[in-house]
Amino acid sequence: MDCDDCLDKLYTFLDKELAPTERTAVAQHLSDCGDCEDNFGFEERFLEVLRDCGTADIAPRELRERVAERLRRTPPPPTL
Amino acid sequence: MAQDAFETEALSYIDPLYRTALRMTRSEADAEDLVQETYIRALRFREQFAAGTNMKAWLFRILTNTFINAYRKRSRTPETTELDDVDEFSLYRRMSTERAASSSPDPEREFLDGIVSSEVTDALEDLPEKFRTTVLLDVEGFSYKEIAEMLGIPIGTVMSRLHRGRKFLQQRLYDLARERGIAAVRTAPRTE
Repeated sequence: MDCDDCLDKLYTFLDKELAPTERTAVAQHLSDCGDCEDNFGFEERFLEVLRDCGTADIAPRELRERVAERLRRTPPPPTL
Repeated sequence: MAQDAFETEALSYIDPLYRTALRMTRSEADAEDLVQETYIRALRFREQFAAGTNMKAWLFRILTNTFINAYRKRSRTPETTELDDVDEFSLYRRMSTERAASSSPDPEREFLDGIVSSEVTDALEDLPEKFRTTVLLDVEGFSYKEIAEMLGIPIGTVMSRLHRGRKFLQQRLYDLARERGIAAVRTAPRTE
């Protein structure tokens, strides 16, 4: 696998969506190529930044209470 | 599924549903309406939910479809951008070429550490709707297959939207960092 092949699989590798054999081939290339390893490391940290953003946003209390109330008072569907 | 168990599990996803709704609608009031409508629809169609399957994915599917239907009805002109201009953008490469001139010993790390949450949310809000929706579902941890099913698109389209969406965000965050003047992307004065 060369650097271009490896970079084509950058996100599928980081998203853990590659088939095991391809995953092994990418991991092997990364252990041999410092530049690709740095590139993947950078992209991995970037995806963490995206995931961490907004985790502090929580549903307002009134909304939670309204939804909880609706869930409580809606009867379950009849069982056949 | 017992009523209590359904209630408890459904309510446990209200925070991720709300934060996704907030990024989708870009408005607190609209996000509240969207989340409430999602639960109303979930209750209306609850017999379609099979106990033991992924309730988070089921609720997000309802949220996403409710948002897309309302959004497409409201927007007069359909979005046509495919963001193909950002396809080849690589922030890592861009920073590598600037490393020699940067006054920072580790510009990549300084750039990533310097990003604040509000910049990411601003950049996300600038993403065209179909890319934003796909990126937001990925951020919530859904697989390509789950996202494809929720949006009714092929897995290859999920992959290309994620790729372009992420590249767009990198470019936007890079531009913001330059405006902010962080050392990592501030090139040192030339000495000639």
